[in-house]
Amino acid sequence: MAIFEYDFMRRAFIVGILLAIIIPCIGIIVVLKRLSMIGDALSHTSLAGVAAGLIMGINPILGAIAACIAAALGIEAIRKRIPKYSEMSIAIIMSAGVGLAGVLSGFVKNAANFNSFLFGSIVAISDFEMILVACISCAVILAFILLYKELFYIALDERSARLAGIPVKTVNFIFTILTAVTVSVAARTVGALIISSLMVVPVACAMEFGKSYKQTVLYSICFAVFFTVVGLFLAYYARLKPGGTIVLIGVFCLVLILFAKKIMAKILLTMNKL
Amino acid sequence: MKKIASLLLSLMLVISLLGGCTPTPSTPSVNPSENSGITEKLSVYASFYPMYDFALKVGGDKIEIANMVPAGTEPHDWEPTASDITNLEKADVFIYNGADMEHWVDKVLESLQNKDLIAAEASQGLTLLEGHHDEEEDENAEEEEEHHDPHVWLSPIKAKREMENIKNAFIQADADNKDYYEANYEKYAAEFDKLDKEFKDTLSVLPNKDIIVAHQAFGYLCADYGLNQIPIEGLSPDSEPDPARMAEIIKFAKEHNVKIIFFEELVSPKVAETIANTIGAKTDMLNPIEGLSDEQLAAGDDYFSAMRQNLQSLKAALQ
Repeated sequence: MAIFEYDFMRRAFIVGILLAIIIPCIGIIVVLKRLSMIGDALSHTSLAGVAAGLIMGINPILGAIAACIAAALGIEAIRKRIPKYSEMSIAIIMSAGVGLAGVLSGFVKNAANFNSFLFGSIVAISDFEMILVACISCAVILAFILLYKELFYIALDERSARLAGIPVKTVNFIFTILTAVTVSVAARTVGALIISSLMVVPVACAMEFGKSYKQTVLYSICFAVFFTVVGLFLAYYARLKPGGTIVLIGVFCLVLILFAKKIMAKILLTMNKL
Repeated sequence: MKKIASLLLSLMLVISLLGGCTPTPSTPSVNPSENSGITEKLSVYASFYPMYDFALKVGGDKIEIANMVPAGTEPHDWEPTASDITNLEKADVFIYNGADMEHWVDKVLESLQNKDLIAAEASQGLTLLEGHHDEEEDENAEEEEEHHDPHVWLSPIKAKREMENIKNAFIQADADNKDYYEANYEKYAAEFDKLDKEFKDTLSVLPNKDIIVAHQAFGYLCADYGLNQIPIEGLSPDSEPDPARMAEIIKFAKEHNVKIIFFEELVSPKVAETIANTIGAKTDMLNPIEGLSDEQLAAGDDYFSAMRQNLQSLKAALQ
């Protein structure tokens, strides 16, 4: 097929599918913890890391990863202090991150350099980024399989998980680090838009069908891969911007599913009445 | 004595207060409005780097000039801040490129109270190229009826005409120094002609004519020297690349044996690198001279040196 003729499209598919597998894994736990905006918050905070890295003369990607880890740990810490309103912790960290990025960017001498680290695109991926994404994907998949039960417990109810003897602190810590690293690298590689939406939209779709945790995980991965692949095809053949296309397909599917469900419910209701 | 002292003191207080209120532009250059009253130099604001450079060359030490777009910033999406507008209220001459480059100019000029301000459109009277139309730009075209390629300054001959317009604006604002401005203009007009000749002599003998560039900035340059630009992006440089366009460019580059993909300093080189990697080409910088970085300015670079660097890059790419 003509679309696979080009190296950059092959890369887009490889990296896109890898991320579509790992991000919903992180996403489902994040959603159950009521932290669905974490992807957005972390990718914004990583900008501060990029700026700090450029100012201090260290690799901006390392700076982004460090800032993301700090922000993710910060979100965890605030969430523990005010567990009732856990989404507030995200708003706080996000505004801190954006504010810091704004202030620090004033000190970055070469704005051009800054820009090149801010925006990623799924159709322009370098060798280094592809290897990085592959490594992170392995780590996330491995952690998700090994800690499958623990993560499930913690996501549903932290207190009973602790009572059941799960090392909640350690598992939370590992998960937080993985989330931070994934978001910071992926946002640089394919753009923040794809990351924050793949974390939530496929999970939302899967929740409409999944009857168990396991089913929901598998469905959300399927949905994410479906959105990415269809999005890339559509972007290529219809001459659209790939990032936005992938996201819009996801949201469109979700609306369609919700709509179809409502109609089905109405039909069932009227049939029952008859 | 006491009276004078207290008068002086209050005067100093007022001046310092005024000074505190005067917002300094975020540019490294001097703020002309602060000095205009004392030195009687023309207070000039230029919308972005080439305008600044041309005006500085014509105006020399008879003007105080500031560049509105800070060094190292992409000017296409830039908009003036409130302090920039305040500075324009006090300026004598405002120089902008026009030809759809500064989309904010009309609105700002309308809102200004400064009736003595001479606003000079440097591209006035030049034959402009049509902007290229892809789907996205057609949507914009509905709002603004005309859509031109603003990158006039990249043709040395057209840049000379821009400098002439700037010179005329200076003479209009400050007729006393007419001879000075004329002399400076003559000097640099010769420089532009020389540059034009260098471009002609170098490029006409090269076998290839196709260049792949980051955004469609080199239309005037290509028109002058018989080159053909294939832009990755449209007239504005930063938007997400669309994969179909990238595929077309790769196909074209393979067919025409393009060895170098050009990127720009103020735009991320990621897409250019991706295309270059796919076809095994190299990347090099071709500067649309929309702004120079602080380092380049410190190293004494200007329009002419940047254009000569471009010529070297073009020569290497088209051989």
